[in-house]
Amino acid sequence: MPLLDLKTVPEPVVQTAELIGRLDEVFESGFGRLSSANLQTLASLAASFAGTPLAEPLDAAIAGLGRSEFVDRHFAVIAAARAAAHGAMHDALVAQACAALSRPRPELEALADTPGQAAPPRAAVLLESVRQWLMELAIAGFANLEVGALLPFQATLDAIMAEPALVRHAALLSGFLDELLTVFPAHGKPEVPRLRWVDLWTRSMVLSLAPPAPPATREVKGELRVFATDLRQHDHVVSLVAFGALHEPGKPPRVVRTGVSAFKVDVLQGDDIAGLLADVGGKLLEAIAGGQGVKISGMLLHATGDLVWQEARAEVLPTKLKLAEEAAAVLTSPTALRPGARPEDRHPAVVEELVWLPADGYSVAAKEARELSLGGQAFPLAVERWPSSDDLLPSDLAGSKGLVALLRFDGGRWSLQPVMIDKGKPLPRMVGTGLQAARGKAKGGNLATLKERAGKLLRKKS
Amino acid sequence: MLPRARKVQKVPFVELYAGRLQGVVSSGSDEERVYVSYFEATSGNFYCSTNNNRPCGGLRGSPCKHLVELLNEGVLQYGPARVIAYLGLQQAEPDKVRSGVELIRFIKGGPHKVEAGMVFSRFLTYLQYVSVAPTGAPLPDMAWFVR
Repeated sequence: MPLLDLKTVPEPVVQTAELIGRLDEVFESGFGRLSSANLQTLASLAASFAGTPLAEPLDAAIAGLGRSEFVDRHFAVIAAARAAAHGAMHDALVAQACAALSRPRPELEALADTPGQAAPPRAAVLLESVRQWLMELAIAGFANLEVGALLPFQATLDAIMAEPALVRHAALLSGFLDELLTVFPAHGKPEVPRLRWVDLWTRSMVLSLAPPAPPATREVKGELRVFATDLRQHDHVVSLVAFGALHEPGKPPRVVRTGVSAFKVDVLQGDDIAGLLADVGGKLLEAIAGGQGVKISGMLLHATGDLVWQEARAEVLPTKLKLAEEAAAVLTSPTALRPGARPEDRHPAVVEELVWLPADGYSVAAKEARELSLGGQAFPLAVERWPSSDDLLPSDLAGSKGLVALLRFDGGRWSLQPVMIDKGKPLPRMVGTGLQAARGKAKGGNLATLKERAGKLLRKKS
Repeated sequence: MLPRARKVQKVPFVELYAGRLQGVVSSGSDEERVYVSYFEATSGNFYCSTNNNRPCGGLRGSPCKHLVELLNEGVLQYGPARVIAYLGLQQAEPDKVRSGVELIRFIKGGPHKVEAGMVFSRFLTYLQYVSVAPTGAPLPDMAWFVR
């Protein structure tokens, strides 16, 4: 079984992870009080970038930080270096996975620059505020944060949320701030999820270096057949991600990724999510619930294989598809044009190679298994990523006729996250199949109540 | 994340924020009126007033019914362990708590006024989230947020 080649991890990946781990200690204690050990760590970071375009700026930034020059460009360079190290890990891991699976590495589609609307001038000021806030966090150190330093950022975040060009920033920063406010104020020593928070810090910093340019896209026509889904959420955003085969006239079918996301509040869970997502992706929910294809006319596709879902350009087709067969056909030897990440977004956490496992390729030992058995050997399941939804349950694995999984890398090891399980019935098991039915039940629910209050109170305020 | 589904009809808003369990409680009698209530961690102080800063009539040295409702919904939303830890109620045993009202006896402080506007503006911020337009654009950073 080729996946078993992934029981080990390439040595450079392990070493880079160790270097990042030491750098993250500096973020925990703070750049405002660099110990001699911290300075050594920064020096070894600089050494590992020798001969790269980052070498010179990194030397300058580390020297500056050593002299307590707290300016955002120094922190921007540290963020770029950390992101680059994770990017290298990502590339090495993808290469390892693709070699094991005997498939080409995913490539970005070559697209001509699309003329689009640039972010408004206001965006630049807001992003400068974000960098300032991130710098304050790094100077203080995650272990020493005080609520007083966190709360004022909410006002900046409110402004970012009101700016459609910064939707990605809003989604990331609201999740990050939520987590910080969950831990602080801390009674006693705070529990700092170090790697995770420095990841979120780095993502936020890299994303805020410049206002987003309009992405290169092309219009696509054809049919989308969604065969797998994933749900991602924090208290303030929910994202339903869908993977499917895109059939364009005159081209071989390829894998694309699409999805719909909505802002929300913590009490909106379960059925209420359906109401939120239906506003932007009602037809996607319908197609997922019915196992039907969607006729697409003129939706925009990014170089990364991300299809921007546009309700007005979708039409749900009546035929019920054989989704397991569809997935098997397009995933068994996929083309290089399939979902991937832009260089600046590359990180082991965004590796999601789709694999199809036929019924005879795996088995499950126990009902609540934490691993799959592949040819007699155990391979970990990414149980921590399993969404809490009745649509896809760990118990669905037993007796299944095949599955689609995302190959994940987390906690220093590879694992599989099932995102569609074929039970031999017309409709496979996947997250989101129940959302269409839940739309009807959402009346009088939390979403309706809060929207009604918002309608009254927010109007009064303005 | 939610241990149980919480209905927002009675208590539209509850949060653990800036060292307080705070929120907005609908009036039982007047549909147009809401109460703004909070418990402070460490000091154990609390307060309840209308959003126009009129003190709640039920607040006589001990928590009123709005504060009890707030605590009940707070425990529903966050689970007893997190509320107890956040408010620093060391004597309370999370495993034995079934509803928020059982935590009232661990609240040591007394009524202490804060401006209702502070909490109320948090509620408005909260409502803003449900008014932001949803999107079909890719959000790759959401890969970090899984539940």
